[in-house]
Amino acid sequence: MAAIPLPRDLRKDGREGLTGFRKRRYNRLALAGLAPKALAEGSNHMRWLEYLVRRLLMAVLVLVSVSIITFIIARIIPSDPAAAWVGSHPTAEQIAKARVTLALDRPLYEQYLRYVGDLLHGDFGTSVKTHQPISHDLETYLPATLELVFASILIAVIVGIPLGVLSGAHKGSWLDHLTRLVSIAGVSMPTFWLGLLLQLLFFSTLKILPLGSRISNDMALYHPIKTITGFYLIDSVITGNWIAFKDVLVHLILPACTLATYPIGLAIRMTRSSMLEVLNEKYILAARVAGLSERVILFVLALKNAIIPTVTVLGLSFVYSLTGAILVEVIFSWPGLGNYVTNAVLNVDFPVIVSVTLVVTVFYVFINLILDLVQASLDPRVTLH
Amino acid sequence: MRRTGNTLQAILALVMVALLAVQCSPAQPAPTAAQAAATEPATTAASGEATAAPEATQAAATTPATSEADRASVFVYENPSQLPDLDPAISYSNDLIVMANAYETLTVYNAPGSKETLSPGLATSWEHNADGTEWTFHLRDGVTFSDGTPFNADAVKFSVENTKKLGVGAAYIWDAVKDIQVVDPLTVKFILSYSAPLDLIASSCYAAWMYSPKAYQDNGQDWFQQGHSAGTGPYVIESYDKGSRLVMTRNEKYWGGWKDGQFQKVIFEITQDPVVLQQKIVSGDADFTYSIPPDNVADIKANNKDIVVYTNPSYQNLLALLNTQKPPLDNKDVRQALAYSFPYTQFIQGVMGDRATQAHGPVPANMWGHSDDLMQYQQDLNKAKELLTKAGYPNGGFKLQMTFSSGDMDEQQLGEVWKAELAKLGIDLEVQGMNWDAQWELGKSDPKKAQDIFLMYWWPDYMTPYTFLKSMFHSEDTPLFNLGYYKNPNYDKLIDQANEISGTDKDKAASMFVDAQKILLDDCPALFFYDVSDTHLVRSDIKGYVDNPAYPHAVFVYQLTRQK
Repeated sequence: MAAIPLPRDLRKDGREGLTGFRKRRYNRLALAGLAPKALAEGSNHMRWLEYLVRRLLMAVLVLVSVSIITFIIARIIPSDPAAAWVGSHPTAEQIAKARVTLALDRPLYEQYLRYVGDLLHGDFGTSVKTHQPISHDLETYLPATLELVFASILIAVIVGIPLGVLSGAHKGSWLDHLTRLVSIAGVSMPTFWLGLLLQLLFFSTLKILPLGSRISNDMALYHPIKTITGFYLIDSVITGNWIAFKDVLVHLILPACTLATYPIGLAIRMTRSSMLEVLNEKYILAARVAGLSERVILFVLALKNAIIPTVTVLGLSFVYSLTGAILVEVIFSWPGLGNYVTNAVLNVDFPVIVSVTLVVTVFYVFINLILDLVQASLDPRVTLH
Repeated sequence: MRRTGNTLQAILALVMVALLAVQCSPAQPAPTAAQAAATEPATTAASGEATAAPEATQAAATTPATSEADRASVFVYENPSQLPDLDPAISYSNDLIVMANAYETLTVYNAPGSKETLSPGLATSWEHNADGTEWTFHLRDGVTFSDGTPFNADAVKFSVENTKKLGVGAAYIWDAVKDIQVVDPLTVKFILSYSAPLDLIASSCYAAWMYSPKAYQDNGQDWFQQGHSAGTGPYVIESYDKGSRLVMTRNEKYWGGWKDGQFQKVIFEITQDPVVLQQKIVSGDADFTYSIPPDNVADIKANNKDIVVYTNPSYQNLLALLNTQKPPLDNKDVRQALAYSFPYTQFIQGVMGDRATQAHGPVPANMWGHSDDLMQYQQDLNKAKELLTKAGYPNGGFKLQMTFSSGDMDEQQLGEVWKAELAKLGIDLEVQGMNWDAQWELGKSDPKKAQDIFLMYWWPDYMTPYTFLKSMFHSEDTPLFNLGYYKNPNYDKLIDQANEISGTDKDKAASMFVDAQKILLDDCPALFFYDVSDTHLVRSDIKGYVDNPAYPHAVFVYQLTRQK
């Protein structure tokens, strides 16, 4: 055993002073019998905090990398932002002037540093197409998308998880077959097609739901919502504008349901497969023997373990939907981030493309972090390293 | 949990998304994109209305609609794209549909078929000196901006100078203006550095709107962009939900006054999906729209009595610029052979239907300086073969690269049809779709390495043939829009002279422009395919609509009423 040398920093006597990953590495060695004795691990709180700090530092690194990469890609593709700034038929003089206005005549690194400097002051730059601060645009489009995506994920949780549980619990029954069919349909249904179909049914034929947009023209005219958070549901509640609240809710139904089909399908499939696994565990058998009700067994004991993968995929599906909801947003005239960035891509409006990429990166990194923390708190087998 | 793996995946995924995003962009430089700023809750006018409707509003679930009367007094324009700019000084896109109702120009370019080219706008009359370098405009008396400040010569001076100073959009149309003098409150004089048709320039749908100096100075550009207006027009912006809708209400101080039956409010609602647009107009939720798929328009025309379909020529046309600096297209015979190879009539009948008419040269029909007497190339493959033989290519045997804006189905179909025809002559046409920026960047590069054929649309910023003839065919040291790299000093001289006298002697200028087009048709630096027609759908109870292509897709709502 002595043939395997310990890492140098672990060999010294002062190993009591080890912290962080060195302490954990030492303890792993101790566990394997390679080091004299295990050191006491820090408190659970400390571990979480340390983990969090490390992840946040990592997040900064990711953001910097993403900003550099998108910034460079945006600059090397063949396009002329100065011409875009002027408009469709720019003159040579106008382009030259715009190049100076936009600081495009400066070296690339200087442009980047200037961009990052502005970013640290909360300034995302100016769109070359709309000549407006991108932060203003984001204030409108981000809440609109978040409202829609939250609603769709909520629907997915409410519908998908119970169906997955029941389907897993009654494997092979008609309910199981039906649910599996629903889930396959959900993940494979093209949203633009479903959206149009729902519009035909609920707007054109039944005339009970609106065609699109966040609120109706009448509301905009006679009961406008005062913008506070940008989330119309919240803003209408805060201002007590109940008529508008109802209108917003009604407008949310079709797009949210359309967008929810994919996460519903995912939720059903993931919940079902992990339920099947969990229900074979001995503790479930023990619970059954103990005479616990089927409902408690399924929805409390089994689900707590089975839900973990579902939480993960729903979290990722949430981030994906931020810009992935573009088709739904177009069909339902929803002024969201997907719509915004698609228009920017069509116009090669690179400050917008870079900014939206950064915003989505932030969501991606933080949702991932939250998912990991949730997973760790749900599943004792997961440890934070 | 393995962190590095996940982080790496996150970076990779984002890089791929970013790569995809920046590379797969198709389409034109034209409309789209996002726009203005934060939502401003409707102002006093809206709350005034609120008392009229609240009970009815609570009634239905879906369209908690107001009473019939309220809907009747609102004009709903369903717009297929975003409104990028609401600043009248730099608006240079389809946001002109809003500008046209909030602001006015000194002169107005009339719709085709009118006796006169121009009508008085904010100027009631105007005159110029003999060589067209001094223009005096007499302004309409008793006009105020919607913010209450008076419209006068100072306001004209400020608007034009400010627009020029910002230099964005079509500001270049005022390039000739050296000085603006306020003669008296109702008379303004423009001193030009060279002769230019200032009466036409002043009617432009871009960069020629008059706006309140006080509002602009006090509030700044951002105030306009966030959804406010301060013009002399009949409507004023009341609220703006970026990306969704813009609401306008009457400017009670409008100098034209108000009569019974005119609309109280105008809503511009943004709906980008063509199928949804169609549902809106068919259901009567919208009063006006365009950009409906052509096949569906035919169906609506035949079966829907509630909708009137207007199909009129616009001032936009489609051309193919031929690379005159690079073999084999540096040979005039080869260029003419290409002009004889395209099946104009069949393509327009078979693919475009009533959305296009064959062009007579580069100046579109209905514009002054256009002539129906100019020759049109028609397909004649024998003649093409003769010309190729003369040029030394009896069996073709060469390859040409044609670039077009990917995403434009018409351009793509045109390329494919042409490819098949050219194959009969032994010419291999490579039809290359690129996003507009990439296509243009290639076009602006070294002519010897650039494409052979550049397909693009052109439309005027103000109503002059010069914009077509100069931008695409006047010699350029560095290519900008002359992407056939055509150089002909005689031609340059002719159009420059015609432009100089176009303010003072429009008839002579027009005939010179026609002569210039004859040179182009003979030299053949481009193929002139067709003038594009626009299709607008209007609910049949709307009365007074006139399609004026000088203000593309604009509806002057003040002129409309709803039949009861």
